[in-house]
Amino acid sequence: MKSREHGDDDAGLPAGTEQSDLELVRRAQRNERGAFDLLVLKYQHKVVKLVARLLRDPTEAEDVAQEAFVKAYRALGSFRGDSAFYTWLYRIAVNTARNSIASRQRRPLDYEADLSESEQNNVAARLKHDDTPEAAALSEEIRVTVNQAIEQLPEDLRTAIVLREVEGLSYEEIADAMDCPVGTVRSRIFRAREAIDRALKPLLD
Amino acid sequence: MTDQIREQLSALLDGELPKDEMGLLVRRLEKDAALRRAFGSYALIGETLRAPGGRIATTGFAARVSAEIDATEATAVSAAASHDVQRPSRAAPAAGVAGQAAAAQVAFWRRPMIRTALAASAAAAAVLVLRPDATTPLTEVAPLQAANVVGMGSSPTQAQSQRLASYMVAHSQYSTPMVRRNVLSSLLAADPGISRVSFEIGEAP
Repeated sequence: MKSREHGDDDAGLPAGTEQSDLELVRRAQRNERGAFDLLVLKYQHKVVKLVARLLRDPTEAEDVAQEAFVKAYRALGSFRGDSAFYTWLYRIAVNTARNSIASRQRRPLDYEADLSESEQNNVAARLKHDDTPEAAALSEEIRVTVNQAIEQLPEDLRTAIVLREVEGLSYEEIADAMDCPVGTVRSRIFRAREAIDRALKPLLD
Repeated sequence: MTDQIREQLSALLDGELPKDEMGLLVRRLEKDAALRRAFGSYALIGETLRAPGGRIATTGFAARVSAEIDATEATAVSAAASHDVQRPSRAAPAAGVAGQAAAAQVAFWRRPMIRTALAASAAAAAVLVLRPDATTPLTEVAPLQAANVVGMGSSPTQAQSQRLASYMVAHSQYSTPMVRRNVLSSLLAADPGISRVSFEIGEAP
């Protein structure tokens, strides 16, 4: 069994999400707005985090991220599924951040617009993380809360959520590892998320 | 919101939800803010576990993106209506009011944003807009005539306003309730002569 690595600025996502994203895109292309809303909810943190790293002023991250999502929506008709949706969105976000920097006549980033995705990933990884104290504090509080909530989970739930979110395994692979039915895996992951969500709610509301 | 639905949402995030269950879930999500919040929280948990730290989207970010998209769609409605002025010859043989107007838009429908923009014109599906001295129900005005006058001047005449509303009625079947509301707001804001709105025409399918 092979785990999959994830970085906050790579396009790698847990197994199975590409097809699911593609189905949501297809639905959004048929004017099912709820489908695009789901994609926004799914990737909002990832995109905001990415953009905040690219911008000189991370307080502008949400504005630029919003612009990127709107651009993505408007360009959705051109998305053919040749790449993963997040890869496509990632490029839009990077270019939107670059344009924002250029339009504000700030020091340009040290990469070209046509860099490959992997090159862009490397650039993003090199860029200095520069966030406001408030945002950093919230982020840290969320991290601590999530970790504490996971530690308090029953072992079967903790194992399931870690194998899924950290190792990136599919439900089937987790079922093999935990020697249980796929339906049980699905239930355990859901219950783990619910428990963590309850712990997070006071921070997010 | 039942646990079963939230479990589906959890599976959707993992790309493990059967395709045939997705449609209903997407429609539920469009109407259920608690469901959207839960999905956003599940996504945040995964993001935090995979890549802790960094700025995250604040509460309401996804809603702001959605509102911005609605706003751009409302703008596109005006553009689409203006564009229609130049293409009256595309009208197909009448197969009903909506059929006439839709046929006149053949080229536009190939572009998702224009499709969406025209769908937005379905705001009028839910409205009957009357001016104080109007005696003819808007639904009786031919939509292509309306299209021919829309956008010809910055201050539409009374008859033009009525025809615009009629044109929008003709596209009612393609819109979502939120878009309808936004376009209605735009229409009311743009035409101080409209004094009464009633929601007497049913929701588009």
